[in-house]
Amino acid sequence: MKRQLGRSLPLLLVLPGTLVVLAFLVLPVLGTFSGTIGPAGNRLALYETFFANSNNMRIVLRTIRIALIATVISLVFGFVAASVIVRTNGFLRQILLVASVFPLLTGAIVRSFAWMVILGRNGIINSTLMSLGVIDQPLTLLFTEGSLMIGLVYLFTPLAILSLMGVLESIDESVLDASASLGATPFGVFRQVTLPLAIPGLIVGGVLVFTGSLAAFATARLLGGESQKILPALLHEKAMVSFDWDAANTIAVVMVALTVVVIVAAQYTARRFNPVAG
Amino acid sequence: MRHFLSCVSIAVLLGATSSFADDPRTLVVSEWGYTPKESQEYLYKPFELENNVKVVIETGNNADRLNKMKIRGGVDVMFITDAFSQQGIDDGVFAKIDPKLLPNLADIYDVAKAPQGAEWGPGYTVGRYGIIYDTAKVKPITSWKDLWRPDLKGLVAVPGFTTTTGPVTVVVAGDRVGVDAFSNPDAAFKSLAELKPNIRKTYLSGSELTNLFSTGEVTVAAVQDFAVPAIMKAIPTAKWAPLDEGAFLVFNTLNIGAKSQNKELAHAFINYRLSPDVQKKFATVGDGTVNKKVSLTPEETKTMAYGPEEIAKLRKTDFAKIIKAKSNWSGRWDEVFGQ
Repeated sequence: MKRQLGRSLPLLLVLPGTLVVLAFLVLPVLGTFSGTIGPAGNRLALYETFFANSNNMRIVLRTIRIALIATVISLVFGFVAASVIVRTNGFLRQILLVASVFPLLTGAIVRSFAWMVILGRNGIINSTLMSLGVIDQPLTLLFTEGSLMIGLVYLFTPLAILSLMGVLESIDESVLDASASLGATPFGVFRQVTLPLAIPGLIVGGVLVFTGSLAAFATARLLGGESQKILPALLHEKAMVSFDWDAANTIAVVMVALTVVVIVAAQYTARRFNPVAG
Repeated sequence: MRHFLSCVSIAVLLGATSSFADDPRTLVVSEWGYTPKESQEYLYKPFELENNVKVVIETGNNADRLNKMKIRGGVDVMFITDAFSQQGIDDGVFAKIDPKLLPNLADIYDVAKAPQGAEWGPGYTVGRYGIIYDTAKVKPITSWKDLWRPDLKGLVAVPGFTTTTGPVTVVVAGDRVGVDAFSNPDAAFKSLAELKPNIRKTYLSGSELTNLFSTGEVTVAAVQDFAVPAIMKAIPTAKWAPLDEGAFLVFNTLNIGAKSQNKELAHAFINYRLSPDVQKKFATVGDGTVNKKVSLTPEETKTMAYGPEEIAKLRKTDFAKIIKAKSNWSGRWDEVFGQ
């Protein structure tokens, strides 16, 4: 009896937590998803209606495009920053690390507001350019796709830095030396050794940045105009303003599907470039 | 041990009974949260003291709050513009008003007594949808058509479509080219598209617009006059434009939740808001008065429509018609502004 209890004990201990996750995460999400299944004979009816609307299609494509671009830019910045940090030591490294991560301590809304101050008509950039005589009318910088992109990259580069730091640090210097001694140019070393070894970090960072950008409601609302409306803003509008729960559920499924597709694609790319990773 | 337990139980009983005696009822009020300090001082605190009530406030904009009420009720009194209260009435989320429980209603201007029908809430303040602009940076504005002026490129803000007055902007665009937006939306939206180069941003709340003005992003805005005091505070040279075609009339109404358990108390609250004293106090934050017994100096009425004659001059907004046209117009609006 005691031995039987002993064997099923781990299962029993895990059960309460599992039930909570099932009840409050899995079931409600499944409920949302099942709400998008149409009547018999036309199960995809809601999706057809949703994607038939040109505005909805525009917003979906725009969201994907913006998230992809933000991901690429953040990964590039993150890679450069992480490489620099990995090469420094001691106190300077601590400072650089804190400086990279510091923005994460403030909320997304505060960080977006900071860019409103910088990019505004009377903001720092325009005031400086006008006082230098470079321009005589303020530039329209806010509420454009550019300002939204800046906000997203600023928001997510720290995540990219953190994801890449661990991976870059674990690359053995002797491997890089060996490839150089075998005749590889610096760029060759980077392309054929460093980059493939950094793939796991790039995937983790990439997925984090992409899914974050996909769902960046506050940043889009504060830094973007109506032409920069993305899926989370549309979801909020359908759910809380138009009271169109069918469309809201559909958008939720689309967002989750996009995330899953990106993760799977990233894993596949990883395995192709670096058989050890993924 | 027993001695200790009996002490504890006596203390608990005393505590429980005393708290029962003083236990104030709770009234849940849903409003915009736009003037929290003044609302507490002029309305909630005095009402709480007079009626031994605890007022719990929920804030947000019209659409959010109306939808939350639709989903889970839980609100006794709702402050909401007539555009959205019409929707609420159509959806059955409000309880019928008993005029007998609103003695102050007799002193209210006839037009404001029950703007949506005798069974529904009064308009406790009259608002106008018009234009405000910075006189220091913009040449005088005297007509709705001036929004389309080429010298205003990239300097104008208009309300978003999901707000009270977003759809009214479509009516304005139609008027500009001499069409009725309801029967000829194509022409109206073509006219609205011509406004796009002038528009800096479409805003969804009064506070968002105040920010846009105070940072200098916009110098002209189509807006309801509730936001005028805050904008004038930020930009002292701002002026409410006298429009040839006239401003539009928007009522803010008070209605009672259909599922409210405190309907009598809710009526008392509405009655309190209609009292001359409270009406006069709120004039200082720009809420136009509707109680005949309130007299204000011209200085005090600078930022509002005051008196039955001035209110009669305002253009009536047919929100029932707008609600019917909304789903059609929404797609057209997205085509113009969403790309």
